[in-house]
Amino acid sequence: MDLGRLADNLRRITVEVTSAGNAVGAGVVWAPGWIVTNAHVIRHPRVAVRFADGRREDGVLVAGDRTADLAVLRVPDVGLPAAVSDESDTLRVGSLVVAIGHPFGMRGALTAGIVHALGPITAGGRPWIQTDLRLAPGNSGGPLADARGCLRGLNAMIVGNLALAIPLSEVRCYIRAAGGPSA
Amino acid sequence: MDRLLLLSDELAGAVQQAARAVVAVHGRPRVPSTGIHWRSGLIVTASHTVQTDDDLTVTSPSGQSVPAAVVGRDAALDVAVLRIGACDAEVADVGESDVVRVGHMVLAVATGPRASWGVISAIGAARSRRAESDVFSLDLTLYPGFSGGPLVDARGAVVGLNTSGASRHLQLAIPAKAVGRVVDAVVRHGRIPRAYLGVSTQPIRVPEGFREEHGQSQRTALIVVEVQAGSPAAAGLLVGDVILSLDGTAVTDPLDLRAALPSERIGQRVRASVIRAGRALDVDLTIGERPARAR
Repeated sequence: MDLGRLADNLRRITVEVTSAGNAVGAGVVWAPGWIVTNAHVIRHPRVAVRFADGRREDGVLVAGDRTADLAVLRVPDVGLPAAVSDESDTLRVGSLVVAIGHPFGMRGALTAGIVHALGPITAGGRPWIQTDLRLAPGNSGGPLADARGCLRGLNAMIVGNLALAIPLSEVRCYIRAAGGPSA
Repeated sequence: MDRLLLLSDELAGAVQQAARAVVAVHGRPRVPSTGIHWRSGLIVTASHTVQTDDDLTVTSPSGQSVPAAVVGRDAALDVAVLRIGACDAEVADVGESDVVRVGHMVLAVATGPRASWGVISAIGAARSRRAESDVFSLDLTLYPGFSGGPLVDARGAVVGLNTSGASRHLQLAIPAKAVGRVVDAVVRHGRIPRAYLGVSTQPIRVPEGFREEHGQSQRTALIVVEVQAGSPAAAGLLVGDVILSLDGTAVTDPLDLRAALPSERIGQRVRASVIRAGRALDVDLTIGERPARAR
């Protein structure tokens, strides 16, 4: 697989999340009809989702947690593929990772980089996938994927020049707790 | 196997390999810098990150804390060499920095391990020209604490020493070959010798009349404003002499003088072409080693 094909595959599972009429971030098609994104992307209960093929659907907020910075939306199933999550290949410092999002409104932009470090930023903090990726507002809630295109986390924050992603294990736990399917 | 996955594995492997020879250097308040276990018992790091020479400690990848002391610095190159006690960090696999080209994929590795990824964006003279070596400009991010750490190629071999010491916005690496020369000097002499002539100079315009008379195309040269007593220059140069060239290489800026005097030339003869009292004159000098106090 080359980066171009990998990006095309990832774009199909990435959505644009619009809250109160403003495009504010990205999201991932977790399973047919289920979207996961960052809680900070949802600024208003009225949420809409724009799929990779341009279709727009209203979303219903099922669960949101500001501390975990995760939110789950229900949308009509539009028949687009959902994220592939396979963690059999361990992420290591130096592993190639890519992100898809809409930085500054640039839809479906790809960024490539590596894993910078794994774990908390400060002792005792929550674990992150720290990446050496150049992200910008609009990437939030979008997928972080490995070299095979498998979902590994949700891009959530930029600290200094570092991009922080919520690890897939946390995303999975949260969705399960919210009554969503396992992917 | 998938090419991207193969690349990903190689990058992660390179980080893992390089990280075994990486130590944390506690030479400044707050964020420790990174050091490379270059040879058994010798650590190299970025000189600007080590604020004192004694009572330093380094921490190995396993967490072992080892006392260290600076044995030599090349401040122009931003390299410091530290001697350490017995340490369980592996010795770095130092690669060939001469084959590195613009566009080559490289990784910067720091303690943790932490890593960042990019390419060599340029190879050239440092802006100051004070250093005797070319430097690598990097298209990657040197995060806090990355200075002094290894720049590694895709196979994990060390090709340079990273430093953001010149400017926060300028990510540089000193090629491994230049770092090796500094380490060699420290091992051989116990210090880093510096060549010098013992003059202070300023750039001036070469007099029009002299240029016409001698068919000289060079427009600027260096006027000697001070000759240090007992220095190599004292044997042949006078205050007021205008140095046009050294061994035929024009000097138009005081930094050219430094560039013309690499440490390998200590003890060798050099011919200075000068203008003295309006006449052209060749003066033979012996390049000396700068006394320690005057550095």
